[in-house]
Amino acid sequence: MNLSFFILSPAEIEALLLSARVAIFCTLVICIPGVAIAWLLAKKSFIGKSLLDSVVHLPLVLPPVVPGFLLLLLLGSQGLIGKWLQATFGINIAFTWIGAVIASAVMAFPLMVRSARLAINQVDTGLEAAAQSLGAHPLRVFFTITLPLALPGIVTGLILAFSRSLGEFGATITFVGNIEGETRTLPLAIYTYTQVPGGDMAAIRLVILSMIIALGALMISDLLERRAIKHIGRDLREKGSA
Amino acid sequence: MLDFNLQRTQGNFALNIKSTLDTPVVGLFGPSGAGKSTLLGMIAGLVKPHSGHLILDGETLFDSQRGIDIPLHQRRIGVVFQDSRLFPHLNIRDNLNYGFNLLATKDRRFSFVQIVELLEIGHLLLQKPHQISGGEKQRVSLGRALLTSPRLLLLDEPLASLDVRLKHQILPFLRRVKDEINIPMVYVSHAIDEILYLTSQIVMIEQGKLLAQGHFHQIIHQDNLQNMAYSLGLENVISATIASHDKVYASTLLTQGKQAIVIPQIAAEAGTQITISIPASSVALSLSHLDNVTIQNQLQGFVTEIKQVGYRVLVMVDIGESRITAEVTTKALEMLNIAVGSSVYCLLKAQAIRAHGFIAS
Repeated sequence: MNLSFFILSPAEIEALLLSARVAIFCTLVICIPGVAIAWLLAKKSFIGKSLLDSVVHLPLVLPPVVPGFLLLLLLGSQGLIGKWLQATFGINIAFTWIGAVIASAVMAFPLMVRSARLAINQVDTGLEAAAQSLGAHPLRVFFTITLPLALPGIVTGLILAFSRSLGEFGATITFVGNIEGETRTLPLAIYTYTQVPGGDMAAIRLVILSMIIALGALMISDLLERRAIKHIGRDLREKGSA
Repeated sequence: MLDFNLQRTQGNFALNIKSTLDTPVVGLFGPSGAGKSTLLGMIAGLVKPHSGHLILDGETLFDSQRGIDIPLHQRRIGVVFQDSRLFPHLNIRDNLNYGFNLLATKDRRFSFVQIVELLEIGHLLLQKPHQISGGEKQRVSLGRALLTSPRLLLLDEPLASLDVRLKHQILPFLRRVKDEINIPMVYVSHAIDEILYLTSQIVMIEQGKLLAQGHFHQIIHQDNLQNMAYSLGLENVISATIASHDKVYASTLLTQGKQAIVIPQIAAEAGTQITISIPASSVALSLSHLDNVTIQNQLQGFVTEIKQVGYRVLVMVDIGESRITAEVTTKALEMLNIAVGSSVYCLLKAQAIRAHGFIAS
């Protein structure tokens, strides 16, 4: 084995860049709704709360193929919303990289919500009450107290979502197929290489690459979390002691 | 002026208190679980009453019948919590500014510098809450609430989680706030000494009910407070006047009617009227004046009543203008042959006498 083994082919680079693009957009897309739903589930009681909770978590327990197929039924060119989008705006989501973003967003959403919800739950409600007693509107309290204190958990959720998106396979291939340069992300490329004769070397290269990216994401997550905790101060860990 | 009539039921605990608070500083006193914090929470808007009304300076903040419930952030009532609740991610300056910055300039009664200097927290401004001591946290918490120029300041056991030494450091700051800043305060505590250091206007509650309200000296002798007075060692609460100070022996001489009482030195001018107390269990009786004894206070009087309360025998002695209760054993009573009408000397150890409103040095 010589060094040229590590040089990626244009198709492999394309898969890598596409994966990165899909994962970044997926993380951006679920960021705000994820925090909003997490806040709703953590702080509010309303009719249909457990239903919302279940629906959000569904992709976590279903075989990924199921959400993928449902997305196809909904957003495919013959789907309920897809048909309307096509007719009104001329937009077709299925079999595009945007569809891949949506597929991985649906799959990563529960991870984001779980992590953010836990973090928001752990913020001392006494601090929020104190902020309100100082004249802050509940919305301001959320942005100045709750959100900054929950940030480590939210960041963890975002990194988890990013990683989940990088690894997304089942929903993506069902919803948007495996089109080179459009929807063939790293996992799909690896799968494709394992299916063609002589593709093993390329598959191994991408496997190693995936592992490096995953490790990197975990290390960045750890670093960010530690910095956030340092910023908040050790009080977070000593709740209740004055 | 705060006028309220509030009810709330929680499990087996029912709170139902009606009162009007019209003195600048009121001490809300009661044993743990009496409902002090719940009442304070309802005034602040942290806890929702089930029924009743709450009116502050003519503005209705809560009225269950009229459907009024002004939210917490619009009440302009400052709260200092037992656990200080400083925002851990903000430094002390930003903590202090949190409410201050939300306030229109015309509504600001104090400047930032004024409060920082009053509470001596200038050196802490760039620190984070976890870097400062418990006592400093409470001063910052107090400053943060004061900077919002509240119409009413509620202090919920602000010293309860501090040790004695720190308490004694913070109490003068609270007094300073009371004296220099004209904001009505409700001070909640289960430590009567803390309350009496700040005010003698007391609201006493027990098991969710108002027990008594008024000047401490006047209500403490009420019949329904006798059990509480006993548990607090407040059977003997006496008004006295400072006659002179003895700097050599670090003591203060008081006069009470024609009696003289010596107590450890306190910082107040001669002529000042003060309130002192001594637990009945710290009062001994003697049939004659004792010469070879360290006890300096020997007050002559006549036994007016002897009563058995549970296992305790209480002897009431009229010492002229007031009455002293001594707790003795039945055996001692029989040995000395003490009966109603006997002439006795009440022996009060100077160190056992508490002067209310002063920090013991």
